[in-house]
Amino acid sequence: MIELSDVSYSYEGTAALRNVSLRIEKGESVALMGMNGSGKSTLLKLINGILFPDSGVYRFCGEEITHKKMQDPLFSKRFHQRIGFVFQNADTQLFCADVYDEIAFGPRQMGLEESETEKRVEDCLSLLSIEALRHRQPYHLSGGEKRKVAIASVLALNPEVLVFDEPLVGLDPRAQRWFVSFLMKLHAAGKTLIVSTHNLEMVQEIAGRAILFDENHTIAADRPAESLLEDVDLLIQTNLVDEYYHHHPGAGHQHFHIHPF
Amino acid sequence: MHIPDNYLSPSTCAALGAAMVPAWTVSIRKLKKEVTRAKMPLLGIGASFSFLMMMFNIPLPGGTTGHAVGGTLLAILLGPYAACISVSVALLIQALFFGDGGLLSFGANCFNMAFVLPFVGYFLYKFIKDRVGGEKGEYAGIIVGSYVGINAAALCAAIEFGIQPLLFKNAAGQALYCPYPLSVSVPAMMIPHLAVAGIVEAVFTVAVFTFIKKVSPGTLYEGEKQKSKAVYGLLAALICLTPLGLLATGTAWGEWGADEIQNVAAGGGKPLGFVPEGMLHGIHFEAAMPDYSIAGLPPYAAYILSAVAGVAILLILFKIFRSIKSKNKGMQ
Amino acid sequence: MPEWLLKEEQYEPLSDRDSFLDKSILSLLGILSRIRAQSGIRTGKYAVHAAFKVACTFLLIVLLSLSKNLFFILTVNVALLAAISLLSADKILRILKAGFVAALFTLVILLPSAFWGNRYGIVMIPLKVFAAVSAVNILSRTTEWRDVTGALKSFFLPDIFIFVLDITIRYIFMLGEFSLPLLYALRLRSVGKNNRKYASLSGVAGTMFIKSKEMAEEMNAAMECRGFTGDYRKSSRIRMNWTDSGYLLIHMLLLLLFLYLG
Repeated sequence: MIELSDVSYSYEGTAALRNVSLRIEKGESVALMGMNGSGKSTLLKLINGILFPDSGVYRFCGEEITHKKMQDPLFSKRFHQRIGFVFQNADTQLFCADVYDEIAFGPRQMGLEESETEKRVEDCLSLLSIEALRHRQPYHLSGGEKRKVAIASVLALNPEVLVFDEPLVGLDPRAQRWFVSFLMKLHAAGKTLIVSTHNLEMVQEIAGRAILFDENHTIAADRPAESLLEDVDLLIQTNLVDEYYHHHPGAGHQHFHIHPF
Repeated sequence: MHIPDNYLSPSTCAALGAAMVPAWTVSIRKLKKEVTRAKMPLLGIGASFSFLMMMFNIPLPGGTTGHAVGGTLLAILLGPYAACISVSVALLIQALFFGDGGLLSFGANCFNMAFVLPFVGYFLYKFIKDRVGGEKGEYAGIIVGSYVGINAAALCAAIEFGIQPLLFKNAAGQALYCPYPLSVSVPAMMIPHLAVAGIVEAVFTVAVFTFIKKVSPGTLYEGEKQKSKAVYGLLAALICLTPLGLLATGTAWGEWGADEIQNVAAGGGKPLGFVPEGMLHGIHFEAAMPDYSIAGLPPYAAYILSAVAGVAILLILFKIFRSIKSKNKGMQ
Repeated sequence: MPEWLLKEEQYEPLSDRDSFLDKSILSLLGILSRIRAQSGIRTGKYAVHAAFKVACTFLLIVLLSLSKNLFFILTVNVALLAAISLLSADKILRILKAGFVAALFTLVILLPSAFWGNRYGIVMIPLKVFAAVSAVNILSRTTEWRDVTGALKSFFLPDIFIFVLDITIRYIFMLGEFSLPLLYALRLRSVGKNNRKYASLSGVAGTMFIKSKEMAEEMNAAMECRGFTGDYRKSSRIRMNWTDSGYLLIHMLLLLLFLYLG
């Protein structure tokens, strides 16, 4: 479904991605890991057609995504409907005057009947358990609520691929748990998920496969999540964790304890 | 509406800049009363908001886009005094760093967009809102204020352009700066502003105001109900005085005789007296000389000049060529 | 899970005119990269002090505006071209492009006046515009902006004004970075026909305004915590070096030429 071959990107001379190649099939769920600034966010923007590779090729469902093609409004709209992007900072994703309008924005654009739009908005509200926020202004919600509204507004488009940039940052532990199980539900519903995260516990729960970025903006490893999390040397080498890190295989639960040295 | 340098004479720019001094002084004094001195950052942030608002492209009928100035909006949101200072700062940054609008014409641009626009817009808004009352009055005020505000600013710019050929000419009677008289500059500026830009400004102002009022009504500016008479006075005085200043700093009064006005007014109708002559001779450098008072210079001066120009152009071409080449290499 | 979410969407978008979004994104990106680029300008040993640059650029623009002499205007243009030729290729391209666009625009504007005999302006004004725009662009592309604002202090502008200028530039960047993703979000979700374009765009602008108010209040609080009472002092001392003298000399020569030619 998503295919990058030998993609590089740099911001005014500073490399952000170097020769990245990867394939993501329909229905997969993939976690992107790597220290801050290793290129995860850039990759997500590239996948969503906000940025375009300096060199290399990005294909979505066999179709090459280029700046020129995205200039064609119909093509780009179809593309954006099929792949949804939830930003890291929900603040910068909400621009409507109330939550209902925010979620209805996409369905209305798609020209759905108002009754169908209403159904979608209500479904999204209940799916994220934010029915009570229906008439609130997004701007004044708490961080977690904003995140949920942002997710609902993307979900209402019913995209095939959902891309999340650091979805757990800034959420309290309970919201984090809720979110992990929500992602699992989405995956079970057949959605393709791409999630960048620093939360290693979450990786093995939601993702079958994990991709680890190196400091020098290349892919250091791309394998089943379980085996990657056990490779402590590699995680230390890519500066993602320090020597105190340890992994509990098969741990599907949140745990809390202290390790003296 | 950003006037670049060399469209207006330096003395016009100076006169308008001088007219801004009292406006800035009053604004700062008012602001000091309204906000504490320590709240100065607000001005910078208002300025950056005003700057960024001009970056927003707004869809126009027919698929094209334009941008709003947002002067009235800012005046309604922050108050006219803060708007005056904020827009001025935004204009300075545009002139100094982004090449939008000239450095000399900064005074003129401020007069049009940081003074006339927000003050006319705001006081019209206030006037209608206080008289009509209610939500209806408020929105009517915003629409009329923003529409008239931007058109008043455009009119000022048009007048500034239009008086140039009257006031500033060389010995041969040719315009030194903007060559278009009022009869051309006013319709040229006003028709697009009355028909399109004013409407865009009004619609955008209403839309943003509605959004902010709905989401965060507490952030809106609460102007005092009365005491605005002094400002009306200031406004009127400045608008009356400025043309006088312009005239006084321009050529002497006497030169602006009736026949000249006639000439200018008839401007468009003048037969193409000069052009065919020039065309007959072809493009001939020496023939052009007398006009620009270049004659009388020793011939080597021109040689030196063209030699330096030649070297500079070669260097530039060489560097550009090399950079393109290295870029191509990088691609492979 | 609602049923519609389990089905694959069969959707063919309707066409709509929304190039305004891409244009807004582009102009915002332009501003951001411009601000980013100026912060890394190397001010080596041979850099001319910003105060001299600002003063001389201003002088040059005044002289250009006053001059009625083609030779003087040409000399200034050539001097500026020579200065431009010393810069790097990408800066050359950007400065020349700005100058040419402005001059060409002026020429087009003035063209009709040629038909009633405006032979003077049609040559002089585009040349003047080219020189003035190039001069300002050379200044802003070879100097860090805070040095430029700092230099304004040498011209007796109050410190508080310079402070406002500085934070304005900083907040243009921060607010710009804040609203860029908003525009992206609007574009990513613009998958069809938007009948309320103004409402969407004003949502972005309105959110930006509320955010800017919030930022202002936070900044006030932070500054008061650090003992800010409304006074702001900036120190600057100018030491002349060889490059400064050379730079000033060139402008003195241009001034003399202006006085000689008029």
